[in-house]
Amino acid sequence: MELHKLLEGNKPILLDGGMGTMLQAKGLKPGEPPELAALTHPDWLLDIHRAYVQAGAQIISASTFGANREKLARTGKTVAEVVPPTVEIARRAAGDQALVALDLGPIGQLLEPTGTLHFEDAVNIFKEVVRAGVQAGADLIFIETMTDLQETRAAVLAAKECCNLPILASMTYEANGRTFLGCDVASCALTLEGLGVDAIGVNCSLGPGQMEPMALDFLKWSTLPVLIKPNAGLPDPETGGYDITPEEFAQSLARLVDAGVKLVGGCCGTTPEYIRLLAQAVSDRTVPNLPRTVPAAVCSGTQTVPIDRVRVIGERLNPTGKKRMKQALLDGDVDYMLDQALEQTGAGADILDVNVGLPGIDEGEIMVRVVKALQGVTDAPLQLDSTDPQVLERALRVYCGKAIVNSVNGEDGVLDAILPLVKKYGAAVVGLTLDQGGIPKSAQARFNIAQKILQKALSCGIRREDVYIDCLTLTVSAEQEGAVQTLEALGRVKEELGLKTVLGVSNISFGLPVRPVVNQNFLMMAMTRGLDLPIINPNIEAMMAAVRSYHLLMNIDKEAREFIAAYGTESSQPQRAAASASSTRSLAEVVEAGLRGEAGPAVDALLETTPPMEIIDGILIPALDRVGARFEAGKVFLPQLIQAAGAAQAAFEVLRTHLAKSDGESVSRGTIVIATVKGDVHDIGKNIVRVLLENYGYRVIDLGKDVEPAAVVRAAREHKAPLVGLSALMTTTLKSMEETVDLLHREGVPCKVMVGGAVLTPGYAKQIGADFYARDAKQSVDIAKEVIG
Amino acid sequence: MDINEVLRYMGCPPEQAAPQTRALAEQAAAQMEQTARPRSVFRESGLSITGDGVLLESGLLLPGRDLARHLAGCDRAVMLAVTLSAQADTLIRRAESRDMALALALDCAAAALVEEVCDRLEGEIFAKYPGCHFPFRFSPGYGDLPLSVQSGLLALLDAPRKIGLCANENHILTPRKSVTALIGVSREPVGRAVRSCQSCPGREGCQYRKSGGHCGAS
Repeated sequence: MELHKLLEGNKPILLDGGMGTMLQAKGLKPGEPPELAALTHPDWLLDIHRAYVQAGAQIISASTFGANREKLARTGKTVAEVVPPTVEIARRAAGDQALVALDLGPIGQLLEPTGTLHFEDAVNIFKEVVRAGVQAGADLIFIETMTDLQETRAAVLAAKECCNLPILASMTYEANGRTFLGCDVASCALTLEGLGVDAIGVNCSLGPGQMEPMALDFLKWSTLPVLIKPNAGLPDPETGGYDITPEEFAQSLARLVDAGVKLVGGCCGTTPEYIRLLAQAVSDRTVPNLPRTVPAAVCSGTQTVPIDRVRVIGERLNPTGKKRMKQALLDGDVDYMLDQALEQTGAGADILDVNVGLPGIDEGEIMVRVVKALQGVTDAPLQLDSTDPQVLERALRVYCGKAIVNSVNGEDGVLDAILPLVKKYGAAVVGLTLDQGGIPKSAQARFNIAQKILQKALSCGIRREDVYIDCLTLTVSAEQEGAVQTLEALGRVKEELGLKTVLGVSNISFGLPVRPVVNQNFLMMAMTRGLDLPIINPNIEAMMAAVRSYHLLMNIDKEAREFIAAYGTESSQPQRAAASASSTRSLAEVVEAGLRGEAGPAVDALLETTPPMEIIDGILIPALDRVGARFEAGKVFLPQLIQAAGAAQAAFEVLRTHLAKSDGESVSRGTIVIATVKGDVHDIGKNIVRVLLENYGYRVIDLGKDVEPAAVVRAAREHKAPLVGLSALMTTTLKSMEETVDLLHREGVPCKVMVGGAVLTPGYAKQIGADFYARDAKQSVDIAKEVIG
Repeated sequence: MDINEVLRYMGCPPEQAAPQTRALAEQAAAQMEQTARPRSVFRESGLSITGDGVLLESGLLLPGRDLARHLAGCDRAVMLAVTLSAQADTLIRRAESRDMALALALDCAAAALVEEVCDRLEGEIFAKYPGCHFPFRFSPGYGDLPLSVQSGLLALLDAPRKIGLCANENHILTPRKSVTALIGVSREPVGRAVRSCQSCPGREGCQYRKSGGHCGAS
């Protein structure tokens, strides 16, 4: 029996039922690890597997659900000791009647950003199990009961990178159609089909009735065979029993087979009796061969964006021509990038382009850092923008969802290097209509390149819906005939090749007056010709207005709901201007009152008459000092201190942009490296410290949370920081703090160390060799003044 | 949600809160209530007190003297776990890159909300034991009960699967805005102190509290 043959046929495939609940029924005690059953109760396991095979299961899952090194750590056993005998027992029970799946459940620790487990560590944890299971003779891999799409990706990549066995993957949903971590069916389906699993679906948590909408969604969002393994209804909290009989269970699943579900079985609370009746109920049924096409779409781990209307790609996360962004990249100031990302999605961007290419930085490392950070704050899918295949691969690896790769072009070398990555990680790809000969002038030549890119992509196994073509905008002031050629090529790619189209719009107007007018009109012309994915600055209202108007006029925005939501209560633009114009407060007053929104305009006004450094030393810092003194006297409280800092931060932002533009002096008084130590995830205190330090004009290199001691040493050296600040919140991570201080000393890094955090005391700070103990954020500023001046 | 409680966590005595600060706390509380997905799980366990600590019937030892003393007179305890889920963490993280004052307020609103969810759950649990008495709920990290018992407690509650709550290698709960605790059940009256920063054994050394915040670990 081969799984591929079963999957190709039109008969439903029977899976087994619950294992944990069966072991409990046999007498497994609460708290007794089920993953050790092969060692402690091999006869029970064999009995249960055999009963499922006799009931008609064609695939049984070895009891390796929790047999990974993290979960086994508590038991003192290793993967090598546990996985082989567990698979062998299933093998013995299966004989030649059934296939044996190596079962992979969640690791038991959450991955970043919610937890601290790194993606590659998760991949390695799964690889260890996969290698042991494959060697012991598993026929396939069954990844199940997952709540985190990123962890599921780690398991799939682990399986793909160490064996050729087929992979079934299943996540567990709540009745609202999302997993605990917020993953929806569409995002799961797009991502996992992209990674090349063989069947996909849902198990555990719910009964068959509640799973139906999810099963139907899987049928809609993937072309793969769909599996479901429901619980025997919902558990009774008092008795632990389940509320659906084997008969009801079998009938419900039989109906789902009629709807197109291919693999059926049970999860918690189901027994061989459930599977026996299920086998009877579906034995004479065939799975209908429905026409299934999945629309063009991209997704993050929590949000799917179908390309079924104009979708805006925000262009701001790109240093080209943006000095402030360059500075942020050089400083590793990820928060600036996050702020820019959230500003764009707030303005209406559906997808965010991410480009961190800048001479003098490690593009791959920064790309990974930025992608991870973005995933922690935004649901918007990302377009990964680099010319370096290695950078793209690193980004694709940590990206959770279905990304867009920007870009390939008609050059064979580029296509050969990048398309296999697009295929492996299941992304969509932008193809630029240029090649070694440059950008062809004529629409026909660009169309030809588009055709070539499409053919190459198809031959790599990338689906047509995932190829987006960029016909390239040329500057109309330089080549006036170019705009028409771009639009012509775009229209033909859309009509004749049926592909989605991308276009960076703003270049059209370089060197012209009233650029926004030209950009807006060119965008409208391009959308009319079939542009799906304009790459624009969504913060420019005229551009978003064009997109909204287009949707309104094309009858896509039904009943003008979105248009009215955006503009129904007058334009928001003039209101904002009015608010800033009415401000008559001085910058000092604005900062002391913590009025963030007024800080920028107040600085702008001052800059007309006052040099930047004078604004900082003469106004901002004295104002902050006054707030700080009132805080220490107990007259104002932490929220007001932070609000004042927030207003000062907004003022600094304007000053930084001003200085970056004029290539003038830096506002920095000195560099401070700060980090929340390895293992700790509580970093709000450290972030408050950062804001205050920045406000006093220090350049702060914030390494984030869960930071390795070696990374602190590296950063302190690289930035020649005279002061390093470390925070830890939990007693369990004080050890990491001690290790970090120790390593800084051993490596002879010439810096002072200040430490702070909930459980620290001055005595402990001294004991671990720190130079300063900071009681609160205000005191960290005093320490910085003492050390740096 | 009790806004005064949020203000207290923010380090601001409610009666002295500036209108702007109170508005911030209200805004944060509303956002947090809308976004958080509170989930909880609990289970009763028999227990015995030994020389090493409290031994649960599953064989899990909760070492140290403080919990043993706290549960004197209880023959059972209810283990519980509560989480506001990853969505609460994401909301705070999102604010941290843009508006630190809002981030602080959200962090404190989450701390207040998770306590409120615990209180509600505690009410449900009390109702299941008519005529019984309960010392206040006791969490890992209180007194000499080490955080290293987290993963054992979570496993007994099947919390990773049932509510998506895990502990990392340093025994920190993730998602962050989460609580595990034990509530003793006694047939005889017990002294029930209020459980808060006031009764936290880490109170004296707690700089977070002194600077006006809350650890969020509850």
